[in-house]
Amino acid sequence: MAAAPSSLDLFCVGLNHETSPLAVRDALVLDDEEVGRALHALRERGGVTEALILSTCNRTEVYARGTAIENPQAFVAALLREIKGMDLTGKEGRFLYTYREPDSLRHLFRVACGLDSQVLGEPQITGQVKDALSLAVKLGGSGPVIERLLDAALRSAKRARTETLVGRGPVSSAYAGVNLAAKVLGSLADKRVLLVGAGEMASLAARHFQEAGVTQFMVANRGRERAELFAATIGARVVTLEAIPVVLAGADVVVSATASPAPIIAEAAVRNAMRIRKNRPLLFLDLAVPRDVEPSIARLPNVFLHDLDALGMLVAQSLAQRHAEIPKVEAIIEEELARFLRWHRSLALKPTVAAFRSHFERVAREEMERHKGRFRPEDQAALDQLVHGIVQKLLHRPTTRLTRAGEENAEGIARIDAIRDLFGIEGAGGGAAGDGDADAGEGDADAHRNPR
Amino acid sequence: MSAFIPLLTTLLPVLYGLAVAGYVRIYVAEPGPDQETFGHHWAPLMLRAAVVTHLLYLTSRGIVEGHLPLASVYDFLSATGLSLAAVYWFLELRQGIRTTGVFVLPLVLLIQIVSSAYGAEAPTLKPQLQPIWFELHTLTAVLGYGAFAVSAIYGILFLLLYHDIKANRMTFFFRRMPPLETLGRMNVSAAGAGLLLLGLAILMGVGWARLAGVSLLSDPKTWLTVGAWMVLGFAVLAYYRLGWRGPRAVYASLAGFTTLLLSRVATDFLHSFHTFR
Repeated sequence: MAAAPSSLDLFCVGLNHETSPLAVRDALVLDDEEVGRALHALRERGGVTEALILSTCNRTEVYARGTAIENPQAFVAALLREIKGMDLTGKEGRFLYTYREPDSLRHLFRVACGLDSQVLGEPQITGQVKDALSLAVKLGGSGPVIERLLDAALRSAKRARTETLVGRGPVSSAYAGVNLAAKVLGSLADKRVLLVGAGEMASLAARHFQEAGVTQFMVANRGRERAELFAATIGARVVTLEAIPVVLAGADVVVSATASPAPIIAEAAVRNAMRIRKNRPLLFLDLAVPRDVEPSIARLPNVFLHDLDALGMLVAQSLAQRHAEIPKVEAIIEEELARFLRWHRSLALKPTVAAFRSHFERVAREEMERHKGRFRPEDQAALDQLVHGIVQKLLHRPTTRLTRAGEENAEGIARIDAIRDLFGIEGAGGGAAGDGDADAGEGDADAHRNPR
Repeated sequence: MSAFIPLLTTLLPVLYGLAVAGYVRIYVAEPGPDQETFGHHWAPLMLRAAVVTHLLYLTSRGIVEGHLPLASVYDFLSATGLSLAAVYWFLELRQGIRTTGVFVLPLVLLIQIVSSAYGAEAPTLKPQLQPIWFELHTLTAVLGYGAFAVSAIYGILFLLLYHDIKANRMTFFFRRMPPLETLGRMNVSAAGAGLLLLGLAILMGVGWARLAGVSLLSDPKTWLTVGAWMVLGFAVLAYYRLGWRGPRAVYASLAGFTTLLLSRVATDFLHSFHTFR
């Protein structure tokens, strides 16, 4: 009956963008069915009590609870070889990392908050963690502790997003361009964007402009077919490259991202367009290398030209700001982690508190039964109520103090053991953390059982 | 009520000072995720308190002295300060932009400190300033000056941001300023308000001069003021009717404001009816 420290026995084995190349990460992305197989193997063969698998393009990580697996890294490597056919047991084992408590907990929180992401503070990972939890719940892999742990991690992520600037500011040139356009033109909802080029960069820029409220697009591209395909995805009008000087006057923003070896937007065309548009501001985002827009247009009044270097400065500023926010996010993580651990420690108390209360209730019941004949039957109900009330009042303070002490630290667990010893409470799960629903009602005799 | 006035005289710079501190904090503090800092709440509150107290102060002075409190240069300063603060407050409410208060309100604070420190004694109103039409002419002109001053401040902010963006200078100033388009709109909105007020002032001044038999045709200040009004009118018209945007529109409004300042200087250096000596 010695007090054991509160432990989840949670380990994490995985690989991410820092430890492995893209080809390896790509090869190890698990689909839902493969996650199901892995969870099943972890439970059946590894004897883990709860597990969760997070598999994205930047990481594949296995979180599991249990002590039966002696070498988690070897177990997970074997599992991945079995499912994906990739051997990570030999030299490739260097791609894998293993965290044990408390690092495994902290790592999960950092992942959920985007601190471990390739782009610091990116928001997609929070959704991916949520999806991983949903999948684990659906496939029966998770349990109350991992679910509560994920709740805490996701709460940290939400707080990081609302209480710090870790997710703020552009981290791509295309997005920085949209921010710059808003800085010059204000609301973009009624603005017209001309996209020169129909490649990945133009597509990314179009998506960011759409998110900023732009609905009017024009696409100019050398290949008509590709331009039409791209235009269909954003509801744009297609124009030829030759028509650019004509349509410039009607655009407010020009995003150019072609592979042209020479500039395709000349100063004379811009000068003419500015005359037609009565000198209203015109913003050029030149995302091409070599540049698509003649640099001399920057001299024209109300014409703003920004190339990749300029946009890169905005991205760098934003990333620096995000880095400066890391300590704030870490403080949030520590706070939420401490709260979770308090909850987890309280699990150890539930059986003891329940047994403690049950012990007193039983004594009261037995005494009531013994003296039943001395009271009138019509007084029985009132007497029951009276005795029950006295027991409740007597137990209120000790159980409250007991719960609080146990949540605070390991010394509380020792105090619980003393109580158990003092009152001869047996078979209620021990001082070590049991798992289960922490909200299980105190005084509920069923709470005696160890949920696992 | 006269015992109340010294208290308000002292209170005004304090309230403006607190408002300035709040707006400095709003400007300096990087916006949080919810864009709100402590300053976002109490700075506008202090500004409102200051403007209301300022109105109360001028009204009390008017009641006690029996005329609009515009009899001395310190009174002019105080009324101009109120105009600056009120126009800024109006623009802040319309645009929801608070990061520019730091460029307007310190000027109001300075003006009010000077006015409170040196304008304690109520001067006797010169006879030529006594008719109510002349008082109203002066009041609207002062309020108009305040509006034009705010317009000029936004014009300068516009030009600074414009050149920062053109030169790819992503400075702290760049991060804290509203969009260029918004600054342009604030510049022209304030100029529009000033135009209306100064237009009323000119009309009342001309009307009063006719009644009083005073000829304004030879007064340089009159011509300069009318000239400034026309330049500013053109700037506002060009923005709304000709679609002028960018530095050209701002330079036009700044030219109007400069002419207006010149008209004030002309009062001191040239022979002008408006000298009132």
